[in-house]
Amino acid sequence: MGMDGFEMKADYGQFMDLKEGWVDRRIFTRDDIYEQELYKIFARSWLFVAHESQLPKNGDFLTTHMGEDGVIVSRGHDGKVRVFLNSCPHRGNKVCFADAGNARRFVCNYHGWSFDGKGELQGVHEEYCYDPGDLDKSKNGLKQVAKIDSYKGLIFATFDNEAVSLGEWLGDFRWYLDCLLDNEDGGTEFMPGCIKSEINANWKFGVENFIGDALHAGWTHDSGTRAMNGGEPFPPVDMANSYHASVNGHGWEFGLEGVGDIFLLGRPKVMEYYNDIRPDMAKRLGEARSKVFGSVASASIFPNVSFLPGISTFRQWQPKGPWKFELKTWVIVNKNMPDEIKSEVTKGVMQTFGPGGAFEMDDGENWENCTTVNRGVVTRHEKLHYRCGINRRVNDHPTFPGILYQGQYNDANQRNFYERWADMMGAERMADMPERYKSVMSGRETRDITGVKAV
Amino acid sequence: MKAQKKEIPLQPYVSMELLTTLTQVLYREARLLDQERYDEWVNLLAEDLHYHMPGIETRYRRDKYDQVADLNRMAYYDDSKEDLKKRLARLETGTAWSEDPATRYVHLISNVEVELTEKDDEFLVLSNFYAYRNRNERDDDMLIGHRSDIWRRVGGGFELVKRQIILKQNILLSKNLNIYL
Repeated sequence: MGMDGFEMKADYGQFMDLKEGWVDRRIFTRDDIYEQELYKIFARSWLFVAHESQLPKNGDFLTTHMGEDGVIVSRGHDGKVRVFLNSCPHRGNKVCFADAGNARRFVCNYHGWSFDGKGELQGVHEEYCYDPGDLDKSKNGLKQVAKIDSYKGLIFATFDNEAVSLGEWLGDFRWYLDCLLDNEDGGTEFMPGCIKSEINANWKFGVENFIGDALHAGWTHDSGTRAMNGGEPFPPVDMANSYHASVNGHGWEFGLEGVGDIFLLGRPKVMEYYNDIRPDMAKRLGEARSKVFGSVASASIFPNVSFLPGISTFRQWQPKGPWKFELKTWVIVNKNMPDEIKSEVTKGVMQTFGPGGAFEMDDGENWENCTTVNRGVVTRHEKLHYRCGINRRVNDHPTFPGILYQGQYNDANQRNFYERWADMMGAERMADMPERYKSVMSGRETRDITGVKAV
Repeated sequence: MKAQKKEIPLQPYVSMELLTTLTQVLYREARLLDQERYDEWVNLLAEDLHYHMPGIETRYRRDKYDQVADLNRMAYYDDSKEDLKKRLARLETGTAWSEDPATRYVHLISNVEVELTEKDDEFLVLSNFYAYRNRNERDDDMLIGHRSDIWRRVGGGFELVKRQIILKQNILLSKNLNIYL
């Protein structure tokens, strides 16, 4: 890589000691580190770009970002989804200004270059002024991403030609993802719309919060929990029967009581719905996964997607410099749910994890302050404590894949997220990345694998 | 079938007395919200209230899909009176950390217009709002938009039956929405 000759060999391991359990605050604030994140993390990761349900018809499109690169996700008139830069190859202007819609073509406002739903250049204004040989239309389409693939409804794309397959990237985390994406026939869909807000915090604070920080919930969200549930406090956590699981920097923290997150949504009809389908869920995914779903749990897909299985908020933390991110949120539901339940879930999500939600309101303020205090150069050099549960590693668990730690009050997934971050930041080539966990279900479908024991 | 946008025809002007009274109702409501007098605010809300603030994506003019009328879409608020009371219950717990110290609010209400409806006791009340928030040292933001209300005459006063809030931001340019508009 080394796209513009930027220093690519910095030792990012110096910014943390995960055996000791600390992280240096400068990874949240330094401009040069942020710039490297855009190259080393965002330009090389598989990034979530859309749910298939957002593009049901040919010609449907939406705009989003991969890192800070603006892209169009378009279902062409051949039915195929493509992802290309929202930037005209002529002078670089945007060619699409809408969040979503349906279009036959994308036309640049500057000189009228027009591109079809495949991103191919179709025509230019005053084309006669180009002499033969001046403009090869076949070579001046919108720049396509290197690879696109999907996993059970979620579409991902990467700018990296050398990227491993999406299946390999997600690895054994697919076993957990099925709890959200494949717990019922028909799979999932996004409800219409996308709510975006802007938070003056580093993007990693959002990701690490969802990847493993169950601990904050009972404290930060005491007020939200009580508000949504008639004064009831946060459900108790069973440290003996709850875990952190991490694979390739992705992470899921979970209990096994089956109902905690659904309870927090504050919608009894939704609880009833999941209770009804749970026996089928157990047949489909196995007993263990039918209990992971709906429990007090939260998860992130490396680098910047998070969700709450059971509460059904699905979100992406889009970086906007070290000091700011844009939070995009959606509501994910099972396609087969009756409309009434979908509507209950949607209202519940927006009352808990919308910008005006009883939970969300207390998060943003924390993350902003965690970030902005580091404008102080002395503060910036103080280490942050990530040692919780550091000796609770569980090896060779018969059921749960991944790097596993016992007790969902833990910093394990956060430590593994930052380890992956440092590995990627430091690796000149992705192939140089150290292997931190050996997949036990490589290349296999995950639906019928109800426990790793079956391997 | 997706709802299609349509323009609402202009109605005749109402009496100065009705306009003035309903304007006073809006101003008083704004004062209650500025002062966080939520118990009194809730008393202004009808039992059959629909309080709706849709999330609106930026779309091309040729796109006639009515995002406001489609109630399946994600919305900042899509609340009944009971839903709003649940949100407000958070402030009563004593553990809503991000509300202490308190946010400083100002609701400016303008462009008030009143129109009659098919029901004798219900009035369409249109207004614009400029809601200003400032908290802690330098958290500072403004929310500007339109409201379209239905107010119902009850006893000697009015209750809010329906409120549709159209915020003019695409990305909410702040970390949360700890405010009622």
